[in-house]
Amino acid sequence: MSIEVKQLTKYFKSFKREAGLKGALRSFFNREYENFYALKDVDLHVDKGEILGILGENGAGKTTLIKLMVGLLHPSSGMVDINGFTPWERKNDFLKIISIVMGQKNQLWWDIPASESFLLNQRIYEIDEKQFHKMRDELVELLDVKEKLNVQVRRLSLGERMKMEIIASLLHNPSIVLFDEPTIGLDVISQSKIREFVKYYNEQYKTTFLLTSHYMNDIEAMCKRVFVIHKGSGLYDGNFETLINKVKPPRKLMFEFSNNIDLSELNSLKNTFEFYIQDRILTAESTDETLNSLMASLFKLDTPISFSIEDLPVEDSMKSFFEDPEHYLK
Amino acid sequence: MTWIQALEYKANTVVGTFAIFSGLAIEFLIWKQIFETQGLDEINGFTFAGLITYIFLSMIVGQLKSSWATSIEMIDAIRTGELNKYLIRPISFFTYHFMIFVGYNSLLYISYSLLLIVFPFLFPGYAFLTFLHIFGFIVALLISVYLSYTMYYVMVCFAFWFGEVRSLVVTYNLANIVLAGQVIPIHLFPETMRRVIELTPIRYLIDFPVSIATGRLPTDEWGLHMIIAIFWCVVMTLIGQIVYRFGIKVYGGYGA
Repeated sequence: MSIEVKQLTKYFKSFKREAGLKGALRSFFNREYENFYALKDVDLHVDKGEILGILGENGAGKTTLIKLMVGLLHPSSGMVDINGFTPWERKNDFLKIISIVMGQKNQLWWDIPASESFLLNQRIYEIDEKQFHKMRDELVELLDVKEKLNVQVRRLSLGERMKMEIIASLLHNPSIVLFDEPTIGLDVISQSKIREFVKYYNEQYKTTFLLTSHYMNDIEAMCKRVFVIHKGSGLYDGNFETLINKVKPPRKLMFEFSNNIDLSELNSLKNTFEFYIQDRILTAESTDETLNSLMASLFKLDTPISFSIEDLPVEDSMKSFFEDPEHYLK
Repeated sequence: MTWIQALEYKANTVVGTFAIFSGLAIEFLIWKQIFETQGLDEINGFTFAGLITYIFLSMIVGQLKSSWATSIEMIDAIRTGELNKYLIRPISFFTYHFMIFVGYNSLLYISYSLLLIVFPFLFPGYAFLTFLHIFGFIVALLISVYLSYTMYYVMVCFAFWFGEVRSLVVTYNLANIVLAGQVIPIHLFPETMRRVIELTPIRYLIDFPVSIATGRLPTDEWGLHMIIAIFWCVVMTLIGQIVYRFGIKVYGGYGA
């Protein structure tokens, strides 16, 4: 159940218009179209049971790649072969082995409880009664949403809704699952639950996962291999650790002081480190090594009320990499 | 499924189901006024009771076959990327929404079935003269419901290119109410206009089932018209499939 992508290109025809009524009228009579390349000659191979992370800035082409792989879009050129199927032919046998969850798009029926949507999926995918109950109960248990099954989807929290979306996408036991930003907007606990779940499910069922995310934590926790897209082209395909060791992405330190701070001592630290202070909270963005040194110095000054080191969104943490990829990949 | 959805919004369902009868009352009062003020016994072979029977049934068929609300939902699905929900599942966009449309209307079928039961008592001798007429009406109605859906579907598919085609569907719906004979029977239209309409599938949307029910169409002509109506169903289904196949290639899957 491998995935083969070759020379995949997709462009969209779009038009520009100036703002305001004048621009709207001009555009109505004389519209200037242009081709926007979302993907350019992308090659990719994914083996059965892999969890591949797809990284890239906003508008890099991650979602377009996912949509082409699941058959939502027709390519401008190139091919995708998933276990002998061409996705955009949308054969029923293909649609039964694949699934997609889009973090920013609701696929459940909004006005009815998730349990009803699950039953509808059972009919659509022709899932055997026994298999359906076994799978549903297991997934509900794993994601801890038993109490929410009969609540209207629109009344669920974002995290609960995402868990329901994931259950709905896995009921037919697909071989390949594509997750597009599955943790976007979720709280830290829900994010962590979903990461653990994906890893467990992958080990248990040998399901192939392809996922895009804005959070480095997602990729770090779930993917050994990453595919980095930049301006529609494949930039890096390989081990995530190797990439991180090359790029050394910055992280964010937040350090809340417990007492009034001796500003003179802090100011002396400014000669070595970059940071700013607001409401007794020091914030700094730098590499792990620098942050560790800074923390060591800060602990000498004060015992904090709290401190944390967070990953930055992909755009920020990989900024230097995207600005000059050749420097890092040589 | 649509029942489950409808029942989630109790008030909307109750009001919606009963509001449809108000249109029938308005038609009754207008035509009563015309006949009384003009002192007419009949218009083009329609007595008052015969005309009201025809319009009464036309409005019922018009309601049952009109899928404009479903069409608006389908256009929005294409425009906003909601269509993705159907494309990633082994279901057909055409079939799924046809079932949704029939599901929504099934609430209307129940209301109107009750009305049809009392119909022969309200207007004895004007409709459903025999069981054959009831059977013929039901078959013609089913054809009309499907044919109407396929015609809307073709328009829906233009959303792949133009994004927003709701105005096209609304305009067609309004034109259809008049041209198919939902307000005034097409038998009362000018000769040329009536002949043109009879060459199109519009004729089979309302006039065909109602003419069978009211006995205006002789039974020996039913078979030929059934064949023509089914021919139109096949033609419109094929056109819909072709337009969809071309349209899906330019679909942008926006919204996510």
